Amino acid sequence: MVSDTTSRPLKTDEMIINMGPQHPATHGVLRMVLTLDGEIVTHAEAVIGHLHRAQEWQGQNRTWFQYQALIDRVDYLSGMFTSWALARSAEVLDGCEVPERAEFLRVIVSEMNRITSHLLWLGTYLIDLGAMFGFPFYPFREREKLLDLFEEIAGQRMMFNYIRIGGVQRDPKPDWFTRLRAFTKEFPDRVDEYEAIVTENPIFLKRTKGIGILPLELAMDYGVTGPSLRASGNNLDLRKTKPYSIYPKLEFKVHTLDKPEGGDTWDRYILRIRELRESTEIIKQCLDMIPEGPIMNKKQIAGMRVKAGEGFSAVESPRGTLGCYIISDGSDKPFRFRWRNPSFCNLAVVGEMLVGSPIADIMAIFGSVDVILPDVDR
Amino acid sequence: MIPNAPEIGKLLFIICFWICAIFLPVWLVSWAVGVLLPMLLEQGSPSMAMTATAETLRALTPIISVMVFIPINAMFMVLYERRALALFTVRLGPNRVGPDGLLQTAADAVKLLFKEDITPRGADAFMFTLAPIIFFAPSIFGALPLLAAITNNHSLYQITNLPTGIFYILAAASLPVVALVMAGWSSNNKYSLVGGLRAAAQAISYEIPLVLSLVTVCLMAGSLDVVKIAQQQDGGILNWNIAGGGALRGLDKAIQTKLGVETTPLITPQQSSDPTETPVAAPTTFEEVIHQYYPFEFLSYISAGVLIFCSFILLGLYLTGACAEINRIPFDLPEAESELVSGYNTEYSGIKFAIFFLAEFTNLFIVSSIATVMFLGGGDNPIPQWLLNKMPLEPIQKSLGAILSPFINGLHLIDPDTFWAAFWVIFKVYTFVFIAILIRGTLPRFRIDQLMDFGWKRLVPLSLIAFLVVVFARVLVVCHG
Amino acid sequence: MGSNLIGRAFESFKRIGEGLRTVLMHSFREPITKTYPDTVSQIAPHFRGRLALSVNPDTGEHLCISCRQCERVCPDKCIEITAHKSPETNKLELIDFKIDHGLCMFCGLCTEVCPTTCIINTNDFEMADYTRESLVYDLRRLTLTQEESAFYFEAKDMPKPKPKPPKPAPGAAPAAGAAPAGAKAAPVGAKAAPAEGAKPAAAAADAAKPAESAKPAAAPAEAAKPAAAPLEATKPAEDAKPAEAAAKPQDSSTEPAKTVGDTTAKPEEKPTASPEVKEAEKEKAPEQGADADKKEG
Ligand code: SF4
Ligand code: SF4
Repeated sequence: MVSDTTSRPLKTDEMIINMGPQHPATHGVLRMVLTLDGEIVTHAEAVIGHLHRAQEWQGQNRTWFQYQALIDRVDYLSGMFTSWALARSAEVLDGCEVPERAEFLRVIVSEMNRITSHLLWLGTYLIDLGAMFGFPFYPFREREKLLDLFEEIAGQRMMFNYIRIGGVQRDPKPDWFTRLRAFTKEFPDRVDEYEAIVTENPIFLKRTKGIGILPLELAMDYGVTGPSLRASGNNLDLRKTKPYSIYPKLEFKVHTLDKPEGGDTWDRYILRIRELRESTEIIKQCLDMIPEGPIMNKKQIAGMRVKAGEGFSAVESPRGTLGCYIISDGSDKPFRFRWRNPSFCNLAVVGEMLVGSPIADIMAIFGSVDVILPDVDR
Repeated sequence: MIPNAPEIGKLLFIICFWICAIFLPVWLVSWAVGVLLPMLLEQGSPSMAMTATAETLRALTPIISVMVFIPINAMFMVLYERRALALFTVRLGPNRVGPDGLLQTAADAVKLLFKEDITPRGADAFMFTLAPIIFFAPSIFGALPLLAAITNNHSLYQITNLPTGIFYILAAASLPVVALVMAGWSSNNKYSLVGGLRAAAQAISYEIPLVLSLVTVCLMAGSLDVVKIAQQQDGGILNWNIAGGGALRGLDKAIQTKLGVETTPLITPQQSSDPTETPVAAPTTFEEVIHQYYPFEFLSYISAGVLIFCSFILLGLYLTGACAEINRIPFDLPEAESELVSGYNTEYSGIKFAIFFLAEFTNLFIVSSIATVMFLGGGDNPIPQWLLNKMPLEPIQKSLGAILSPFINGLHLIDPDTFWAAFWVIFKVYTFVFIAILIRGTLPRFRIDQLMDFGWKRLVPLSLIAFLVVVFARVLVVCHG
Repeated sequence: MGSNLIGRAFESFKRIGEGLRTVLMHSFREPITKTYPDTVSQIAPHFRGRLALSVNPDTGEHLCISCRQCERVCPDKCIEITAHKSPETNKLELIDFKIDHGLCMFCGLCTEVCPTTCIINTNDFEMADYTRESLVYDLRRLTLTQEESAFYFEAKDMPKPKPKPPKPAPGAAPAAGAAPAGAKAAPVGAKAAPAEGAKPAAAAADAAKPAESAKPAAAPAEAAKPAAAPLEATKPAEDAKPAEAAAKPQDSSTEPAKTVGDTTAKPEEKPTASPEVKEAEKEKAPEQGADADKKEG
């Protein structure tokens, strides 16, 4: 009898846990269905769609002019990039030239936006890791300064509606450039401070090194783009690989980490930190090179039309390749819209990355990929 | 010069105000109940019953004072933490209620008291209610033996002293874990349960380095009595346990001898008590004193250095273990916000939550007081006696004495010794609290398995090694005890 | 191995110490937050805040020509314009203009298409209210005073509108008469406006919603009733003769101007006025507004 019970393996069951949609750390409304063996995740599935707002359908039912104002909401942390993707696709269709000053302004504001997006990620990621009371305020402080600048040119802090089809909306005052220049001067010091607190912190290293490894093949299979892909060793960055706008004129480096076994969460962190510095450099160059001239080449009127045809363009957003595909029938409304959102693909791979890690690492891994839920659901 | 000077000034003002607001009432209450009332009773009618009442009052005073003290103090600490964190994060912090946010936490506490007290459906109501009480109670009675130590064994609090004080404190400090498991289990919530169990696992593994480090200090001091440990360290920073548990005492005495300072009679070294040796005359020169305290010359110097190093390690071990014991960042896994929502107190609200909250801060205070008494000499002035004598403090002391003499002699209201002891204790304790806040503002959180790794594979061996090293090193030097 | 361990431990301590030092050093920097209701930070002139209808800063004429461009372009359909052809001048005349600020997303498209730069985004962002109904602003609450209009025309670098051709609608005559009075009453307010930066709009909002802003004083439970009052008040106006109705908003727009002068002038004198003083001011303003309301009614 006794030997019988001991020889029989202990009956264990897998446990299914729902993480989210109401959980303090799931960055919005994501629901994750986790199958757990003890504390180890054996299967993870992201249930999306809680934030679906029919952005594509809305585009087909609004005029061009109206929809320009709506698309900042697709990815609310990098509204400049969504605007830019739309504007570029429409310009491809329309064949309208963008004035040079407008291109420079676009690069400046979108690199600023990349900085704000990465800064917000940095703060919230540290919250995910438990540094809840001190550090997260510092990135937000710098972000606030950039948002003030955005507010001055675009009118709002997150929903910019600044990059328009054919140019940009408003020419900043000289004072604005001075302030931006001052910011770029002091910002690298601030990044040094972040690094002093975080980068080599032993607890941070323990929480991130070797966690959530994303092999390059897996990343390519899932179509992961952006810093997450570059941390795994691929140097896909549309600014360099498929240059657009004035990026060919600028000198900058695309940071990649050469990791044969795939990047871990720490690599993704350090890559974003390097991008922060790189973007600052780009802004500095643009501020030196920006020419005078007009900023808008298309009349912004309510009945704005775009020539008929199909157009696609992609920009490198803070989260990866952001593509916009449009069919226009020549009327004042787009005929068909299609967004290619980086977060959607990046989230898909998280399920694979989670397998085999303990529950406590879920947030460390999920956070490191930098997924914005509205960008996933649209 | 410092751009943030006004904010720092405000924080200092808040600290001063609240410390006065905490300690004055406590002192007045305990003085009234423990000194004045019994005195009046005994003088009024020296009957048996009156004497008995007076004695009872004297015995109750410590408890009453602690009960007055702990809630007010916890309220202050919450405000202190919030304002200090605001400083670190370049914010203003709470500044609305009362001048400069002085009464913010008082208002918060009142608000929490009036909130609805919700017991979730499916919860074990009895356990659910009992948990916060069990969590809070040990912090009250655990604090009692410390009272005597931090007031320099004031006559009011002598009664709280125990010969095995530190043991009692440690025993009391390990009780709250039970409450956390109870809270986690009775809330009928998966997150709470995980939080409670984590708390238990964490407390068990971190109590070992914590206790071992304190035991080592007791070994250096040769006593378990907190009052004795505190009194041993009198006479400046060189005598504190942080400086090798008295390993530098010889140096202190030698300097005193050299400067010809009037010293208290030397504690006769152990060697001279050996009857086979001829009793040496009281040493009169620097070298002689050094020789008396460091009998093995070079070997002794080295072991003194080792002891000092060890005591720093012990302090580190103690603080780490204490941080884990009271669930503060980076060891706040039982209430890890990004994983477990809020851990064991997810389901708590209203007054029960307030009790949890206050108890956490009280625990922080107690842990800091233990560190102060065990490592930093309790209420001792950090300046060595020989340096103090050189300072022109005489007139200040005299004038202060003249002002205070009616209170001291007539009413026994203020005693300069107690006053200074209290001042230094408060200063040291809140410095520790400040460090804890600073750590909270900087470090991320461990993962649970890394926490266990760190506890069992690093801290426990380290504390054992430190223990062994101290055992051998202290033979070669004349230390406390 | 052992030395490696010790080396790592020291390295860790160094790193943690560095982090702690960096955080500690931050406590010597100037705080970046502000005590919000006391000090409002400077808001960019192009900030897209509460919508408002401007008047000609020189003559006080209402700039809206009822072209309905804004109504058509609004993606949220939150603008509702009531206008009719005046029988006398055969021109479009505005009767009521409603914007549901609960629906508006402050995209600013309406301000871009308006041919007369009548509808503008003000710098006011303090619109919290107790009911959804009170977020629907009617013509009277939307219309700015002359001073505020002048302030925004200057801040936003908009070209000053030319006065309307002579032969105004009969209703405009009393309005023109009332305008100088308003201008006299509020020069202090006008001066205070640029200095205060963001505040004039806020103050105007306080003054321009007399009944609603009574709510800090009144019990919250009662708030719903007064909030509904102006809506009812304007309904009869719609039924009334159009000429009168057109005149009314301008009349009333001068009334708040006085209170604007009061409310903004005081903080100017006492920049560090305590919240109590402000409260008192706020209480006063709705009273005056309510009086004005009664007179109108
Ligand atoms: S700001 Fe946009 S949403 Fe609001 S009323 Fe104007 S057009 Fe409509
Ligand atoms: S677009 Fe301007 S003028 Fe036309 S109705 Fe709207 S506010 Fe009036």
